[in-house]
Amino acid sequence: MTALGALTIGLLVLWGTVVALDLVSVPQAMLSRPLVAGTVAGWIVGDVEAGLRVGVVLELFALDVLPIGAVRYPDYGPATVVGVALSAGAPWELGLGLSVGAGLILASLGGWTLMVVRRWNARAIQRRAAALAAGESGAIRRLQYAGLARDGARGAVLTALGLLAAWALARWLTLDRGTAVGLTLVAVGTGLAAAANGAVRSAGRGARLKWLVAGALAGTLLAVLR
Amino acid sequence: MTGRWRALLRLLAVQGTWNYERMLGVGMGYAAEPLLEDLKTVDPVRHGEAVVRSAEFFNCNPNLAGLALGATARAEYEDVPGPQIARLRTALCSPLGALGDDLFWAGLVPALVGLTIAAVVLGAGWRAIVWFLVLYNLIRLATGVWALRTGLAAGMRVGAAIGASWVPRAVARIGPVAGACVGFAVPLAAGWYLRGFGWGGAGGALAIAATGAAMSRWFGPSLTSVRFALLAMGLLIFFRGMGL
Repeated sequence: MTALGALTIGLLVLWGTVVALDLVSVPQAMLSRPLVAGTVAGWIVGDVEAGLRVGVVLELFALDVLPIGAVRYPDYGPATVVGVALSAGAPWELGLGLSVGAGLILASLGGWTLMVVRRWNARAIQRRAAALAAGESGAIRRLQYAGLARDGARGAVLTALGLLAAWALARWLTLDRGTAVGLTLVAVGTGLAAAANGAVRSAGRGARLKWLVAGALAGTLLAVLR
Repeated sequence: MTGRWRALLRLLAVQGTWNYERMLGVGMGYAAEPLLEDLKTVDPVRHGEAVVRSAEFFNCNPNLAGLALGATARAEYEDVPGPQIARLRTALCSPLGALGDDLFWAGLVPALVGLTIAAVVLGAGWRAIVWFLVLYNLIRLATGVWALRTGLAAGMRVGAAIGASWVPRAVARIGPVAGACVGFAVPLAAGWYLRGFGWGGAGGALAIAATGAAMSRWFGPSLTSVRFALLAMGLLIFFRGMGL
């Protein structure tokens, strides 16, 4: 992890807040996808390559998620921002594994905080039940803005705590080269497993499965020929 | 009826108060407010009832929420009985959820993500990310505009309008495209990462991938991909610490 200035840390926390909001609350423009969150975080810390490398692996994990209804899922946005900050400045072969590991833990924690915010939203609605039953538009607006503020605060705190944890990891955890490379290989291998699982589960047994296999064959051929 | 553009903008935050009691309900009420403004001057009592209904329980895919919003707003102006509007909202939850999730979360998003990963791996770099964002947001914004317009035009007949629209056909077509794009991207990503590690490293990572895929399918939801990854990383650190 390279030393980060106050402005860079501020920008990372701001970006982490934006991507956390984007996941569910607003505007769902796919800024929270690890590919996007990672690339911008890489640009902020001055290492776009690290952003892309961490972003693609975490994106493979995100492909295993179908964010429907009330299902609980990891929040990969702030996790990717922190993972990229941890990985920046180091050769990706050595930094990727630890960054992805830290990112996965933070993504799981982020998923839990989403549930907490949803419960807080429900409590706020219960408190304003009388105003809602009376048809007060102002009550709806206040609930909406408070919900957005809660989610924004969640993203900011999650990113800030993640960056603090990343700084502590970088300072106190020293990995030998073999372990660092091993972690990278495990991160890539498990990411591929996640994407494959998600793809097969979504494919079912119909035409989509045939197209999945055809795509995989074409991709494998191109990967071998390159 | 005025306020369509404001309603459209507010629909971008329709999940802003997502919760386990009303789900999108309050967000729908927030988006409905500009559409219902004219009703306040025409029939204030009806307006109050409409605001209450607009924030009640509702759930669907956020990108198709405009269909329900537009349809119920028009029904309020047409003086359709309240219980009938409530039944329409309830009836729209499942189809709009299923169609929207299949179209966006299981279709368009993995298709574009797969193409973007492939483009990054093939050397497009950050430009691929920009294209991904532009393309996805053009499609979802156009869908949002269409959904609100269609809902407002159809009112209580929105079910028939959805059935006759492009959405069911697009859902049928996007699935295979998404499968092909993700299938294409995964081996390319594997090659991108593993090329520099030699046969031993690449073979080890692919063995972990095969084990992870098999174990996740075997154990189901109790062993998610994230849990398997953290378990594998923990075991690696443990065994390396033991000197193995």
